Amino acid sequence: MSSTVISLSAASRRRLSRARASNRIFTVLLWSAGVLALLPLGFIVTYVVAKGVGILGVHFFTKTPAIIGQPGGGISEAFIGSALIVGMATLFSIPLGLLAAVYLAEYGNGRFASLVRFISEVLLSTPSIVAGVLIWTLVVARLHAFSAFAGALAITVLMWPIIARASEDVIRLVPADLREAATALGTPKWKVILRVVLPAAASGLTNTVLLAVARGLGETAPVLLTSLGSEFVNFSPSKPTDTLSLRIYHYALSPVKSWHDIAWGAALSLLAIVLVLSIGARYLVARSRKTGR
Amino acid sequence: MISLGGKTEARAPLEGSRRARLGDVVTKRVVAIAAAGVLALLLLIIIVLATGGAKALHRFGFGFFTSTKWIPTEEIFGAAPYIFGTLVTSAIALVLAVPVAVGLSLFVTEVCPKPLRTPIAVLSDMLAAIPSVVYGLWGIFVMVPWMGNTLEPFLGRTIGKIPGLGALFHGNPNGGYNIFTAGVILAVMILPIISSISREVLSAVPRELRDGAYALGATRYEVVRGVTLPFARAGVVGASVLGLGRALGETIAVSMVIGGFNGRIGFSLFHPGDSIPSLIASNFNEATGPGLQRSTLVALALILVVISLGFAALARTLVRRTNRQMRASFARAAA
Amino acid sequence: MRRLKLANLIAGLVVVALIGAACSSKTGGSTTSAFKGVALNGAGATFPGPAYDALFKTFHDTIESGAAINYSAVGSGAGITQITAKTVDFGASDAPLKDSEAAAAPGLLEIPTVLGAVVLAYNVPGVQTGLKLTPDVISGIFLNKIKFWDDAAIKADNSSVNLPHKEIVSVHRKDSSGTTFVFTSYLSKVSTDWANDPKLGAAKSVTWPSGLQGDGNAGVAQKIGSVQYSIGYIELAYALSNTITYASVKAPSGDFVAPSLETVTAAGAGLTFPIGPKTNVLQSAAAGAYPISTTTYLLVYKDQTDKDKAQTIVDLIYWIEHKAADVAKSQNYAPLPSSALSPIDALIAQITVNGSAVTPSSAVTQ
Repeated sequence: MSSTVISLSAASRRRLSRARASNRIFTVLLWSAGVLALLPLGFIVTYVVAKGVGILGVHFFTKTPAIIGQPGGGISEAFIGSALIVGMATLFSIPLGLLAAVYLAEYGNGRFASLVRFISEVLLSTPSIVAGVLIWTLVVARLHAFSAFAGALAITVLMWPIIARASEDVIRLVPADLREAATALGTPKWKVILRVVLPAAASGLTNTVLLAVARGLGETAPVLLTSLGSEFVNFSPSKPTDTLSLRIYHYALSPVKSWHDIAWGAALSLLAIVLVLSIGARYLVARSRKTGR
Repeated sequence: MISLGGKTEARAPLEGSRRARLGDVVTKRVVAIAAAGVLALLLLIIIVLATGGAKALHRFGFGFFTSTKWIPTEEIFGAAPYIFGTLVTSAIALVLAVPVAVGLSLFVTEVCPKPLRTPIAVLSDMLAAIPSVVYGLWGIFVMVPWMGNTLEPFLGRTIGKIPGLGALFHGNPNGGYNIFTAGVILAVMILPIISSISREVLSAVPRELRDGAYALGATRYEVVRGVTLPFARAGVVGASVLGLGRALGETIAVSMVIGGFNGRIGFSLFHPGDSIPSLIASNFNEATGPGLQRSTLVALALILVVISLGFAALARTLVRRTNRQMRASFARAAA
Repeated sequence: MRRLKLANLIAGLVVVALIGAACSSKTGGSTTSAFKGVALNGAGATFPGPAYDALFKTFHDTIESGAAINYSAVGSGAGITQITAKTVDFGASDAPLKDSEAAAAPGLLEIPTVLGAVVLAYNVPGVQTGLKLTPDVISGIFLNKIKFWDDAAIKADNSSVNLPHKEIVSVHRKDSSGTTFVFTSYLSKVSTDWANDPKLGAAKSVTWPSGLQGDGNAGVAQKIGSVQYSIGYIELAYALSNTITYASVKAPSGDFVAPSLETVTAAGAGLTFPIGPKTNVLQSAAAGAYPISTTTYLLVYKDQTDKDKAQTIVDLIYWIEHKAADVAKSQNYAPLPSSALSPIDALIAQITVNGSAVTPSSAVTQ
């Protein structure tokens, strides 16, 4: 059989070749957009790693800052302070966020719930400086003191909507069969939530908490206004406390070369922790989905 | 009652249901209160900021927004340069980020080989996770020198010579500390959020409609232009507005590279400037006295939060409506 | 399961925090041997930053081990507002209190500690330290009237220096700054244009006609170091430790004086008591004095309520004034002249706790 040849008019051929050309340009543009978008990421991460890896050492993690110009200092107080402040913030935002998420997922079909859902999404875009101003006015100004506790409250303002909103999605994903089976056995609703739904959603909920923690660790502006910073190791919630983010901020804006090196090391540490939390959380969820637990 | 090997406890129906009802009622109340707490947080933010800023707004009135005088020693404050700086840096960020972000999301949904899709999405999320202060650090030591010594003089020599448009790229780049540099760094920072929401919206476009267009012989470009984008348009706009909201509120990275307002609002993007969040961050700790300065900064924070959250509300509404419309069309198409 | 582990981690952190809180509520004082000092919070000027960093850390490491002094260098203006609000135990400022500020904080003592120099630091490739600048040139640059490095006025005194035809980028302070106050006081003395302009004059914060802003002395130094053809005003220590070139300034005598420990000490001899809003050592007539020198103050209330904190404060200030000259000099700050010691001791003697005077303890007097 001879192959069928579709003959096109000249105009059609022109239209076709123009369409192909514009498609090719379009595809090339999309590929370049993809590359262009991800280029800064690769650049920033490799730069931070390259500049920061040299300063990491025992001193860096265990000593507090030395006198200007003298070697051997570290930023141990910043690591401890970040852990203290974000730890407290997590403690505050988990119950608040989780309970709100349970409401939205389990009881949330009315107008009130839609409003709460909408507002918690909107609050995700709260400028971080506003959280600082809010807690400064409510806590720091009243108590006449900067403190880790105030810093934790400011970070809670930012972490709470994340946990509330993301947890709702996770809880909703729990298969209806599980709930129905439990209810069929006579379990009251609150027990179903507590004993069946939440455990089933555990890995997803951990995921959202880790994401919120990653966000909290990276914040600078709220703690700048509420916790002030310090060069001393502090475990007390009522004293000014340093964080990794504050240390990077202060050292980056200084002219001291040795401080710049420490800032890169701190940035590397912070970046590593944040990325591990954010990406690791994803893999946790993916793996648990595969194993079915 | 069914006996299941003697292990099942059979509670008397009335007793069990009373306990159950109490537990349910308590649980419902508790979680409802927690949910109401979210609303309370929003109200708290607005009320606290409004009462704090009332003094300044009352004193300065409407002129607050147009005055460029900032003289703390005489308690004269004008917000115009900071509103200007905030808007201009965000505008630059949008202009640069939206095309690239939408391009990235189209790349992932249309062109990208399947196995690469998840890694690239992961990479994009990594960009979103980088803390602002790390962007600022990188900004000071890498972007600012490169901008000030290489890119900005280049732009000044080329686009700067074009009449009209050239006024934007005119003058001494001040070593790279200026509004343009801040806008570029902002663009990198808001790119992930625009891209991830756009991806969500674009992939929700009903397959049937796209496949139908392909079946008619359309090229990928024609499908995207004629089917996908029109459908997803509101959602992509929503994603961009969300990015705008993030840009408006970004504090630390901007404050580290923007250079500081030096008295003149000019056309050139190479002027150093300041933004509202950056101003609040650097002045707040010293403005805590009884004077008007703190009230002014709180008033500015109120303006900022109203604008940011307002845009966020608009954005979320757009995205939701788009998703709902697409689900409805999908249902219609499937019917 | 994982959520449980996370909960355990968080519970552990809380326990640690509570233990820490319990531990830190115990005071650091011991009755058996010398006074050990307690933790203090201070905030204020960045001008004496390196000096205070060394002084406070040395005091903690070698004199009173309980005196962990947490100093936030947020600028003189912030220091004054914070000590007025009593959110810190002491403040620090390079600018003496204005009458209104003193009225808002009754009983606040201003105690000078060290002397330093405001230098004109610049970053012009090829130009070394020692560029000769006259008061007219300096005010011209910051008034934005002299715009290029090779301006005739600058070349007039620097004929041997190769000055490029590049725009001058001036750098100034963004925050409310004592260094700005000292520098603008100097400019007001040497330039009628500056003194008479309502947007300028001598203040902790003015509306500069042009240029970049930096946060604190450190921020300005950082910008100067990274922006070519820039010039700004910072403390000498910041220029020295970051190898930033700086200028020699023409003194009233007609000589160009370079800022250094010696020239600052010469200017400091003219410090007068009592400290008032107009106290300064600018444009000193003393031989070999650097024209833009200044002292810097610690701000403490004379009526204290916490016995241990008051003792620590008194010991700290006594030690700085009498025993720590070498520490200050190691950071390139000059100690006060000996003529200042007895007025300062009289100021320290005013510090009381519930009526009874606090005298320096044996930890610092021996």
